Amino acid sequence: MLELRNINVQFSGRDILKDINETFHPGEIIGLVAPNGTGKSTLMNVIMNYVKPNSGKVVVQEKLFYTSKKDEVKIHQIVSMMPDQSDLYNHLSGREHLNIYCSMWNSDPDLIDKTIADLGMESYVKKKTGTYSLGMRQRLCFAMQIVSNTPIMLMDEVMNGLDPNNVNIISNILLKKKQEGKIIIIASHLLDNLEQIADRIFLFKDGNLINAALVTNGFGKSEISTVRVKGLTNEVSEKLTNAFPRTNVLSLSNGVSLVDVSSFSVEELSQIVVFLHDNKLTDFSFGNVTLNDLYSMYYLKDATEYSNSANIQDLQEEYLRLKQELDIVKKAMTIVARK
Amino acid sequence: MKAYFKFELSQFIKSKKNIAIYVLLLFLACFYALNIAPSYKPIEKVDAKEIEARYLSREAFLSNFTNENRFTGMAGYGLAIYPKWNWLDKSRLDALNDNKLKQYSKFTSEWYIYSNNITYGSEHFFYSPGYYTHGNLYASEDGYYGYLYSASRYQGYAEGKSKLSINVFEERTALQTLQRLLHSYLPMILMICCVFLTVDVVLKDRLNPSLLKGFPISDWKKLIIKGAVSLIGSIGVIVPLSVGLLLIGIRYGFGDFQLPVPIYSYSGEPSYFNKGEFINITMGSYLLENFILLIFCFMFLISLVLLVSMIIKNEFANLLVAAIFIFNEIFYFKRGIGFFYEVENYPTNYVQVGQILSGYRNYIYNSSALNLGNGLTALGMGTGVLLLLIFLISKYKRYKLV
Amino acid sequence: MWKLLKTNLIIEKSSKKNIFAFIFVALFIIGLAFYMENEDVGNLVALKTSEHQNITSALSQFQVMDASKDGDSNELYKNLNEQQRLISLQRVAAKLDKPDLFANSAIELANLREDAFTLEGYEEVAVYLPTYTVNKLESIFYETLKTLDIPIFKDNLSFYQFLIFLFGILGSIWFIFLAFYTCGIMIEDFRHTSLIKGYPIPFDQYVAAKGISTMSIILIFIVELFLCSLLLIYYRGLGDPTYPVAVFDGNYEIYSIAQYIGICLLYMISIAVFVILLSIILNVLLKNMYLTLFVELLLFALPTLFPRMISLFPYNPFNYMNFTNLLNGVSLDLAHPVALNSTYGLISIGLSIVVLIVVANLFLSTGKLKRV
Repeated sequence: MLELRNINVQFSGRDILKDINETFHPGEIIGLVAPNGTGKSTLMNVIMNYVKPNSGKVVVQEKLFYTSKKDEVKIHQIVSMMPDQSDLYNHLSGREHLNIYCSMWNSDPDLIDKTIADLGMESYVKKKTGTYSLGMRQRLCFAMQIVSNTPIMLMDEVMNGLDPNNVNIISNILLKKKQEGKIIIIASHLLDNLEQIADRIFLFKDGNLINAALVTNGFGKSEISTVRVKGLTNEVSEKLTNAFPRTNVLSLSNGVSLVDVSSFSVEELSQIVVFLHDNKLTDFSFGNVTLNDLYSMYYLKDATEYSNSANIQDLQEEYLRLKQELDIVKKAMTIVARK
Repeated sequence: MKAYFKFELSQFIKSKKNIAIYVLLLFLACFYALNIAPSYKPIEKVDAKEIEARYLSREAFLSNFTNENRFTGMAGYGLAIYPKWNWLDKSRLDALNDNKLKQYSKFTSEWYIYSNNITYGSEHFFYSPGYYTHGNLYASEDGYYGYLYSASRYQGYAEGKSKLSINVFEERTALQTLQRLLHSYLPMILMICCVFLTVDVVLKDRLNPSLLKGFPISDWKKLIIKGAVSLIGSIGVIVPLSVGLLLIGIRYGFGDFQLPVPIYSYSGEPSYFNKGEFINITMGSYLLENFILLIFCFMFLISLVLLVSMIIKNEFANLLVAAIFIFNEIFYFKRGIGFFYEVENYPTNYVQVGQILSGYRNYIYNSSALNLGNGLTALGMGTGVLLLLIFLISKYKRYKLV
Repeated sequence: MWKLLKTNLIIEKSSKKNIFAFIFVALFIIGLAFYMENEDVGNLVALKTSEHQNITSALSQFQVMDASKDGDSNELYKNLNEQQRLISLQRVAAKLDKPDLFANSAIELANLREDAFTLEGYEEVAVYLPTYTVNKLESIFYETLKTLDIPIFKDNLSFYQFLIFLFGILGSIWFIFLAFYTCGIMIEDFRHTSLIKGYPIPFDQYVAAKGISTMSIILIFIVELFLCSLLLIYYRGLGDPTYPVAVFDGNYEIYSIAQYIGICLLYMISIAVFVILLSIILNVLLKNMYLTLFVELLLFALPTLFPRMISLFPYNPFNYMNFTNLLNGVSLDLAHPVALNSTYGLISIGLSIVVLIVVANLFLSTGKLKRV
């Protein structure tokens, strides 16, 4: 069990983590979702004690805290973090890396061959890592952590640089490890994948850890709760809310609007279809709120509810900001081109 | 190309290691100027008392033994050689006392030639004591070189237009100090700096490969630009060194670029009987030649380090290989072997830039071929071969720079 | 601890740096043998010829009236004259292979020279003569040869004789070599922090393991020194391990070659531990391999650059890093002479090692192992 108690982390006066309280149980895969620089890695570093929280405690297996160096060693025997692929020793082979991790954590040496086989690394595992491609290195880093075989595993950007096939392979291994009763905490941007394998997903907002399941009605449920509509204009959106006062329309920045239909009957749903059709909107689907939707909702700033509060002034400001950003990017591109 | 050059240069300048090298050099230069240069004791110093003592004792001898014919053997020998010697000493003494430095130079030059003629190979006469330090097996060879060097130098002073002073005579002015240093350890120090400045120029990219791999510029061009940056940086060591020279100059004068620098050279093949002679060139051209040869050494070293960086990809190996180039000569050097081997063909023989250009290396190697031309050829060809290898490797398809 | 050492072994065994250091050490020894051969190190005839010339040159500095051997002529002149005679004798003895004569005149010569130090006007001729310490060492060397009845003429390239020379050179460069070799000891790990940081091992143990594995590689270098020199047994014979070497270790003493090498090895090992610890600490403080190297070299050079420091702080461990100079009693001939004792040297280095270990333990923690 891994418990976070009132964790607070501030960097130069800014709250990175604010009063985090959460408990993770064996046999759980936890997904962490947030844009870069919002505190995911900081949270992992706090769990590893690489970053000391300003206040709060990490409790491992109900009895271990980071109080002394001795305890730290004990905790590191239980909690591991996946290495960065840039940190591999280029002059050593993949197998030697696995040997190192195996002997460091005193784990079962048979795991090495098994993991190599599971990940399909046989063909290159004897070559020096200096010759590896990004995906190969990433698989090796993952394999190293699997070989260390700790009860709690932290993985930052585990799916980076992997093709869909390998994403599948790794997902399966993760699910197997989950069945073995490990706690696996994954930070990833492959939201669809994360949604598939994670038991609980947390979002970061302003230093808080937010359970995605508690954010919206439609997330994580199996019945139809949302209609996703592309190209819904403000005008039509207004009409829609007038026609169906029980619903709520949320326009995301990617051009998709979510129509909340969680308590709708089939009849009402079909009325909505008719309404959309009448308004010449044909690109829509029924389903749940996905993690992608949540992500857009949470982190892409202009997720404004146009239907209720279309604010011209805000839009203008947003437009100016985007234009400024575009200018900066353009400039950067010319500099790069010149080089 | 230009952008990449600027990028590399800015990385070079911002490197902590490189800054440390310049700071260390600045420290050493100041330390030298303030601590070592003042305690410099030239072997051939300007010492009126010493001349006077020698003059008086010989004069006493001459006045005791007036009739040449009555004495044979040593006394007769003394009677034969002392009059001219003493006349020269007297003339030097008078010139010095009257502060006629041109005169002094003229007579001193003659004095050195005359003294050397008598001293070299003699069992009764000796060069200045400074050569005969305990353990020096080649004292009289050094004395021979030193006397003729001084003769040529003073002749240059007498005939030249430079402003003379005791400091100039004792080679204490800034430019002459530089000349002396080039004749001793300075070239090695400069080359060590060059190696340290170059050692990571390729391999530092391994720390952030993805950033740098993608630059739209070929590996070969990258390497050339890196080499150029190191070369510029290596030449930049002149800046901290000149601070030291400035300090020396303020204290002892700067000297000028017209001062004579004697160059030892042979007409014909050197042998026991065919000793060479000294010819003066100006300080300006001597320093220029040094500069050119040093730059060739730098280029050789830089190409060497680049090549090793490419093949071995280890900074420690870079240091070792470069160290072998710089210090190799010590292990195989033997006086006089230039007579038997064509020493001029080995680039490693040109590390002692100042000694090569002053002809001193020729003197101790007993060779006539260690000169600027051959040096540029050997180092240039060496550099060319290294660059060719770098070019070929960098064009090799499977090769990755970082 | 054991698993860490195993890990380090995996990492070090294929490191190019080690391979190159091994090649370099081998090249160095071969080069040194060639150097000795070329320079004819230890050729007594050449040495005595040059000495003779120097003394003659010294004598020529005197005025004619000093020359009368009897009466009230200058004492120093008489002394030098006698020295000249003995050197001539030695040259002949060396040429004709008469070791007894050589040793006897060497002892007499050394006594004469010792007398000369007190005579008036010695400073004028000092440059021609060995320093007081060198002379003293030579004196006890030949006395030992005489009392133990050991032959003088030894092939300087035979195994044991070569080792004296080798360790003599090593004494001056061992610190420098180690500084180069260890200056990146932790920096290399800083490039693999995410691997290392999470090891379930206390950081001090990690550092200790790192130090121990580096130390074992250095021990292998030392073994390599002997192994490469073994070649000389084939070419030039074994030599004599009991042959005397004169050293200064607080007193003027005679060691056998084996003893001399033993004390050199003691120094080499303690200096190695010292430099490893220093490199670890400087690496963590400066986070740059070259800055570490420069700082170490500067510390090493300081006593040479400012010799006054040696007599002011005789227990500064850096006074003892050049153990060749130490055993040759070089500090006795400084402007401010101080007798550095090789035992105190080991104590000073040993204490510094303790201090460095304490510092390393106090300041180093996982948190400091940040990415460079």
